[in-house]
Amino acid sequence: MTATLRRILQAVPLLLLISILVFALIHLAPGGPLAIYLENPNVTPADLERLRRSLGLDRPLPVQYLSWLAGFVTGDWGFSFSDGRPVMTRILERLPATLELVTASLVVALLITLPTGVIAAVRRRSAVDRAIVTLTVAGISLPAFWFGLLLQLVFAVWLGWLPSSGRTSLLSSGFGDRLQHLVLPATVLALLHAAAWTRYLRSAMGQVLSQRFVLAARGRGLPERRVRYHALRNALLPFATVVLLDAAIMVSGAVVTESVFAWPGLGGLFTEALARRDYTVLMAFLMLSSTAVVVLNLVADLSYRLLDPRVRS
Amino acid sequence: MWMHKVSRVGALVMGALLLSCAKEGARTSGPSNELLVVGYDREPDTLNRFSTHILEDVQTCVIEGLVTNDEQMRVVPLLAERVPTLENGDVVLRPDGGMDVTWKIRPGIKWHDGVPFTSADVKFTVDAINSPDYNPESTDGFDRITSVDTPDSLTAVVHYKEPYAPYELQFVRGALPKHLLAGRNIDQAQDYNRKPLGTGPYRVAEWKTGEYILLERVPDYWRGAEYPRIKRIQFKFIPNTTTRVNQLASGEAHIVALVPWDQYRRLKDTPGLKIHQMMGNSYEHITLNQRRVVAFQDVRVRRALTHAIDRELIARTILDSLAPVIHGPIQPLSWAFTDSVRTYPFDKAAAASLLDEAGWKDSNGDGIRDRDGKPLSFTLLTQAGFAIRESVSQAVQRMLKDVGVDMKVQLVDGTSISSLWFEGNFDAMLHWWHMPADPEITLFFASDRTPPAGRNINYVNDAALDRVMYASDREIDQTKRRKLLVEAQQLLAELAPEIPLYNVTRLDGVPSTLKGFKGNPTNTGVFWNVWEWELP
Repeated sequence: MTATLRRILQAVPLLLLISILVFALIHLAPGGPLAIYLENPNVTPADLERLRRSLGLDRPLPVQYLSWLAGFVTGDWGFSFSDGRPVMTRILERLPATLELVTASLVVALLITLPTGVIAAVRRRSAVDRAIVTLTVAGISLPAFWFGLLLQLVFAVWLGWLPSSGRTSLLSSGFGDRLQHLVLPATVLALLHAAAWTRYLRSAMGQVLSQRFVLAARGRGLPERRVRYHALRNALLPFATVVLLDAAIMVSGAVVTESVFAWPGLGGLFTEALARRDYTVLMAFLMLSSTAVVVLNLVADLSYRLLDPRVRS
Repeated sequence: MWMHKVSRVGALVMGALLLSCAKEGARTSGPSNELLVVGYDREPDTLNRFSTHILEDVQTCVIEGLVTNDEQMRVVPLLAERVPTLENGDVVLRPDGGMDVTWKIRPGIKWHDGVPFTSADVKFTVDAINSPDYNPESTDGFDRITSVDTPDSLTAVVHYKEPYAPYELQFVRGALPKHLLAGRNIDQAQDYNRKPLGTGPYRVAEWKTGEYILLERVPDYWRGAEYPRIKRIQFKFIPNTTTRVNQLASGEAHIVALVPWDQYRRLKDTPGLKIHQMMGNSYEHITLNQRRVVAFQDVRVRRALTHAIDRELIARTILDSLAPVIHGPIQPLSWAFTDSVRTYPFDKAAAASLLDEAGWKDSNGDGIRDRDGKPLSFTLLTQAGFAIRESVSQAVQRMLKDVGVDMKVQLVDGTSISSLWFEGNFDAMLHWWHMPADPEITLFFASDRTPPAGRNINYVNDAALDRVMYASDREIDQTKRRKLLVEAQQLLAELAPEIPLYNVTRLDGVPSTLKGFKGNPTNTGVFWNVWEWELP
C-alpha cells in the first residue's frame, strides 16, 4: 500500500518537470499564435500588438508559466487562442471520438494479436510463423498516412463501400453509419499496433515456453493445451504493459490517423493547435497525454502485482 | 480452446462489419437542391467575420456586407443601394483634409430574427471595432474613422480624418447586430460567434465540433422567397488535402475549393465534376532581402537573377500550364493592373553580362561567381511539405547554378516561416502574397513599411517609388489613382526588387450540374453569390 502511495507521489515532481519542459519547448519553436495573422495584409502592426496584449503574451515567460500552472492545477485551463472557448470544453468535446476510435482499434488489434502471436510462438520456425513474421514487418513499416490514403482510395473511391473520412454523415445516421465510418481508421490503427504487438507476444511467449517449468509441466504429462495456457498467462504480463502504454500513446497520439480520416478527436485538435501555436490548448493536451502515460505506467505496475504473485509478496 | 474462442469472436465481428458495409452499397447521394456538401480545408475559429482570420466562406453565406467583391474582383453593392464615389456625390473631400462617405442602405433588409437592419448597426460596428473592449482581427481603415452619423435609419455618414482610398471595402464584412451585441463582451459572445445573426441567404443550423457546420436556407430572404434554391449546405472539415480530394472523387463531397494543381490531371475527367479555373489575386515570387544579402542591393544583380530563371519552362512543366507567368505584384484581375512594364525574359547571356558588369566573376574557377573573395551565394527559404514549391526551388537552384550563382534551399513549416519573414531572418524566400482586393501596394514596397510596420521584406528603399505609392493611397478618384499605380508598377519593374514568378490560379472542383457558380479570387470566397446557385 505504502509502495503504491510512494509511486503516486513520485509522479508529481515528474509531471511538474514535464510541464516546464513542454512549456519551454512550445515557446522556443519559431512562430507564435500571432503568426497566422500575418497572412492577412489588412492586419496592422498596431493590431498585432493589441492581439498580443489581449492574449497575455506580452508578459515575461516565467510569469506566463506560473499563471498557467496556477490555473491548470485549479482546473482553470484558460481559453483557446484560436476560438476563445474554454480549453476544457474543447478537449472534452473531442475526447469521446478519440476514445471510440482507440477502443475499437484496441479490440481489433487484440483480436488479431492474440491468435497470431500465440500461433507464431508455438509453431516457431514453421511456414505459418514465417508468414506471420513477414506480415508484421510489413505492418510495422507501413506509414499510417500512406496506408490510410490507400484504404480510402480502394474502399471509398474505387469500390464505394465505405465513407472515406469523418465520423458521421448527415443522410444516414445511426449505429450502422457510425460503424462504417469507424472501419477504415480503426483498421489502420489496429493493424499498425497488431503488427508490433504480435512480434512482442511471439517473443514473450517463446521465452516462457523455453523455461524449465514448462519442461517440467510437460514432463509431468500435462496436456499441451494446459501447458500453453500457463505459458500464455506468464507471457501476458510483459505484454499487458506494452499494450497499456501504447493505449496511452494512442489516446494522445492517433494524430496521423485522425488527421488523414478527418476524425474529430484529440489528434485532430492537436494538429490544429500545433499549426496555430495555440499555446493554451497545446499545454493542456500535452500535459494530459503525459499524465495518461504516467498514470497508465502506474496501472501497469500495479496490475503486475495482481497478475504475478511473485511481485505481490 | 481459449484461443479458438477468440478467433471465432473475431471472425464474427469482422463479418458483421463487412455485412453492414455491403448492406449500404452506394453510399453517396449526388448534389441536389436538397443538400450540397463542401469539403472544407479547416474548421473556422469563429464565425464572427471581424474576428476570424482570412477565409470567410461560411460567413459569406450568412452575413452580408454593404458591398461584396464579384468574380472579377469588382466592388458591387450588396446591402448598400450603391457604391459611394466622388461622381455620385456620396464621397466628399472636406476642406479640412478629411473625407465623408455616405452609405445608403437598401430598404426592407431584416436580420434573421426579424429586426430591421439599419444605419445604427453600421455605427455600432465602427464603435465596437474602435473600442478597446473588443479584439477584432484587423482595425485597418476603421482606425481612420472619427465618427459615424446616422441622419436616418437607412443612411450612415462615415467621417474619416484623412482621404482613405480603399474606403469602398470598409464594410465588405458587413455589420454587427447592435440589438444583440450592444453592451456585451463580443470576444466572449459565443452565441453570436458560433451562430452569427446575419441577413444572408443561410443561417447556421448546427456546428458539430471537429466535423461540420450545417447551414439551412432562411425562409424569407430579401431577394425573394425563391432564393436561395439550395436548401442545406454542409461544410465538412477535412484538413488533409489528399483526403479532401478523395472525398471529391468518391462523390462524398460535392465542392472543394482550391484544388492543388498537381491533382488537376487526376480529377479533370471525374464524371459529374467540373474543375472551374480562374486567375487568383495572389502571386508567387522570390523575395530578395537586401538587408541581409549585400549583392541584392545592386539592381544589376537582381535583374540578372530574374533573367536567369526560365519561368515559362517552370510554368509549362511543374505547374502543368495551369498558372501563368506574371511580372509584378498587381494581378491582371485588378483594375489597376498594367502589362506595359519592363520584363526580364529568360536570357542566360544577359544574366551573365549583368553579373560581370556588377563585378561578380568566377575568379577561382569553382563555378561560382565571386567578388572581393566572397562567393555569390545565398539561401532560399520556403515552405516544407508544399510539393510544388519544393520542385520550383530545385528548378531555380539549377538555373542559377548555370549562371554561376550558388543557391541553397531551406525548408521550414508554415507557421515558422511567417515569423522568420516577419523578423527579416532570411536571404531569399519563395512564397506568395495574397493581395488585398484593393490594389494598395505601399504595405509591400514603401521604405517605411518594413516589418513590423508592413511587409516590405525586400527592404527596397526608393524615394520616387515611395512618393508615387503614397500619392495613390490618398487619391480617391479612380482614374487618377490608376495612373499613379501604373507608374508605381513601372518603377517596380525597373527596380526588380523581387522575382515575380506566376499568378496563383484558382482551381475549384464543383458539380458539373451546378448553375450560377462564378468563383471569386478574394477573401469573400466562392460562396459570394450562393443565393443564385441551382442544382437539378
